[in-house]
Amino acid sequence: MKKSFIIQIILLVGAVIWTNIGAKNKEVMNDGFNANAGGIKVDLTGDIKIFDSSPTDKAVKKGGTLVVAWSAEPENLNYYTSTSANAKRFLDYIYETLISYDYADWSYSRPILAKKFEVSDDGKTYRFYLRDNITWHDGEPMTIDDVVFSMKALMNPFVDDAPLRAYYDKVIDAHAEGDSVFVISTSEYYFMNLEFLGGFAIMPKHIWDPKGYMDEFTIADLNDPRVTRERSEIRQFADDFNAHSQGRPVGFDAEPIIGSGPWRFDKWITGEYMSMVRNDSYWNKDEIYIPLMAEDGTNLDKIIIKTIQDPTAMLTALKSGEVDFLPRMRAIQYFEQTNTDDFLDQFQKVTYNVPAYSYIGWNNDKPYFQDKRVRQAMTMLVDRDSYNKYIGYDLGVPTIGPFYIFGKQYNHNVPRWPYDPIRAVELIEEAGWIDHDGDGIRDKDGVPFSFIFSVSAGSRGAKYLSLMMKEDLRKIGINVDIRQLEWSVYVENLRDRQFDVVMLLWIGGLETDPYQIWHSDNIGSRGSNYIGFRNDEADSLIKNARYEIDEVKRNAMYYRLQEIFHDEQPYTFMFYQRDPGAYTKRFNGVKWIPIRPGYNFASWWDNQSVSAMAPSN
Amino acid sequence: MMNDTINRPARTYTSIVTSQFKKNKLAVYSLHVIYVLLFVFVFADFLANDKPIVMSYKDNLYFPIFHEMGVDYLGMNWQKEFQTQQFKLISKHFEEGDWALWAPVPYSPQEYHLERKLTPPSWAHPFGTDELGRDVLSQMIHGSRVSLLVGFVAVSIYVFIGVILGALAGFYGGWIDIVVQRFIEVMITFPRMFLIITIVAVIETQSIINIMIILGFTGWTGVARFTRGEFLKVKNEDYVHAAKALGYSDFRTIFRHVLPNTLTPILVSATFGIAAAILIESGLSFLGFGAPPEQATWGSLLSSARDMLPSGWWLTTFPGLAIFITVTVYNLVGEGLRDALDPRLKQ
Repeated sequence: MKKSFIIQIILLVGAVIWTNIGAKNKEVMNDGFNANAGGIKVDLTGDIKIFDSSPTDKAVKKGGTLVVAWSAEPENLNYYTSTSANAKRFLDYIYETLISYDYADWSYSRPILAKKFEVSDDGKTYRFYLRDNITWHDGEPMTIDDVVFSMKALMNPFVDDAPLRAYYDKVIDAHAEGDSVFVISTSEYYFMNLEFLGGFAIMPKHIWDPKGYMDEFTIADLNDPRVTRERSEIRQFADDFNAHSQGRPVGFDAEPIIGSGPWRFDKWITGEYMSMVRNDSYWNKDEIYIPLMAEDGTNLDKIIIKTIQDPTAMLTALKSGEVDFLPRMRAIQYFEQTNTDDFLDQFQKVTYNVPAYSYIGWNNDKPYFQDKRVRQAMTMLVDRDSYNKYIGYDLGVPTIGPFYIFGKQYNHNVPRWPYDPIRAVELIEEAGWIDHDGDGIRDKDGVPFSFIFSVSAGSRGAKYLSLMMKEDLRKIGINVDIRQLEWSVYVENLRDRQFDVVMLLWIGGLETDPYQIWHSDNIGSRGSNYIGFRNDEADSLIKNARYEIDEVKRNAMYYRLQEIFHDEQPYTFMFYQRDPGAYTKRFNGVKWIPIRPGYNFASWWDNQSVSAMAPSN
Repeated sequence: MMNDTINRPARTYTSIVTSQFKKNKLAVYSLHVIYVLLFVFVFADFLANDKPIVMSYKDNLYFPIFHEMGVDYLGMNWQKEFQTQQFKLISKHFEEGDWALWAPVPYSPQEYHLERKLTPPSWAHPFGTDELGRDVLSQMIHGSRVSLLVGFVAVSIYVFIGVILGALAGFYGGWIDIVVQRFIEVMITFPRMFLIITIVAVIETQSIINIMIILGFTGWTGVARFTRGEFLKVKNEDYVHAAKALGYSDFRTIFRHVLPNTLTPILVSATFGIAAAILIESGLSFLGFGAPPEQATWGSLLSSARDMLPSGWWLTTFPGLAIFITVTVYNLVGEGLRDALDPRLKQ
């Protein structure tokens, strides 16, 4: 013991001498990851919002199979009741809507099932004119009854689609006029109405409601609790609908989903893959499928969506040729593990924009975050750019507010708060947070400036940021405790508003309505304004903008709203996300768009396909 | 011959065990490694810290590391000029006559330098840096505290529980024995790791103290069975009957007379237990259930390295080696101790 102790002391002293005298000026830097890493950075700035990352000089070929890897599998494939984003992404190829996004100006006005539509002057009544040549995958013609039925199914209070139905709460009537006109009325004008009223999937009535349970009821009946309680058919239908085999066509011999889209459902093997095949008898063959995007919705023969949860396994599958396209890789894989010539020869790497932004949410009702000066200071204390550069591989696009940077609502004139710890400390002291009791931690009215940063267990970015903040804020007399929580607990705490600070992602669209997240109506009772943002001017702007028909006036209100957000800093707005992905160079027509999920397989084609012509039926 | 025996100092039990133990070279070396670990455990703050050990600043002598201990444990305050504790920044503006003596690893485990993230081992960072640019060696030095503390405290708790329950069961027999035995059987039907993960999941706050307590409360069954067995063996010895005949209380009989004669096998199993506890803590931290994120432990270092592979080999190699070496030396010492205490192996 004695001997080894002496040896250890000698070693320690030696080490101290070595550090202090022997090895001075030894700075290391790891400044560079390869910023583009041999990939293409999709840039959607400017007017054109379609970006083709593949060579465009060749003629489109037909045929071939595309295998895609997604990390999560939907719980079911019922378009209305599934809460999984992946279910909707998959079903969007099989079902169709009346209208959708126009890829030229990104308004919600491209006719699909409806050949045209009309909106009344007060913006409350919508008329959709259904085409007459539409057929379902099983050969039956689509009629106006299918459209009315779909709306009724969606509005049935016993169908498990409450989150979706919430967007239709203003619908008071929907009926057919003649054989081809679908008329839908709402109680109030709402600027996003078209997106919801024209954007629900049309489902075949003869499959989902062969007994015609819903025929005799009107939307008014479905909105009336007295009727829905009394008439057992409504519940009977909903129970059938929720449990319908079309919603979970699992296995090799399952009945396929019947839709009307350019793709037919093929198979769903749980835990393995979902697949779809080209619909050779697609009703809409003669017209351009999506102008500017894809002449024809079906260049490929087959699309297989594999479920691979582990990111490492995903990359391995891509490399081995088992998978052709990874829409979401890990950043470290993209920037550091796929830079070999071999990989770059065979695969095209792409980073593309998705309409989702990250933010740090300060619970505005906690004593330390009540004062907007403190919230401004907190924003100035987060070194967002270094975080983005070193932790986020420069994938983030800085944002100042909740609206999508490529949308019309975003106010480009609002400045970003700089990273300025010195000014931040001044603001914090101005707000009265000074170390009165001399324990090294700032306090005010006896409350110490000590908060908990809640981190969801899987989120690395939030974990790193919380560690950085803890270390930085310790130096200016603010204590941060980090708590890692399981996702379900995390969400529960969020809804109950039991948190100080969270870091999360909001997923939006080209246009969004800030009501749900920012209006003070939605504080408490589990509303989405869980940070408790209250501002009278913001409230009236949000309410008025919803019902403003004039787009310019409406967006002017949103511009003002972003100025308020800038001043109030209820969140520290971080970054709009770019997802890193990679696909086999065998594919052309790989186009990137600003709406979710950022790509559409309709435009893809296989340049090595051997079958130059479509196989006959 | 006779003289020889008389002149030789009396061979006590301890000296016999010591000389037996010393014959096992591997165990002796392992013990020295444990000394090194204990040394690191005690002096971690002085081995790796972003504050200087001694600093002369504006003609005053400061001891920032000692001062930090005072702040942390004694409620002292930082001097006005050191409020932000950025000694490195201060040292950049040193004037004539100012100097500082830095710790051998001049980084604290939390100190991050983003621009140095994931640098391979170099002179500045002998074990490299992690994904936030924190020094891995510094994290390992401070992480050793967690590992050893978990090992010792958890084992102390469960030896305590196990010895008491085992002693009662063995000494009294009867229904006490039946109750304790059944309780043990219930406990060991749960796979330990799953039981621990379940309990950890229920407790919301992550802390190393919780882990120690949970490990302590789930690990005692082996010790209890051991003690019970030893008690059954010893309780019919003459000296126990003598103690009873003299009218000693049961408490005194159990703890003064029987227990000391049963402790040696427990000691051996405790040594192995420390190794097991360190391994379990590393496993829990690896899974993200263990220490809170800001606390550096060997397991959490390994866990953060998992996603970096194949880049960042140093993040797995060094903490992995540290766990391996520590667990091995405890096992080797335990083995040496067992052999030394075994009368049948005595030469």
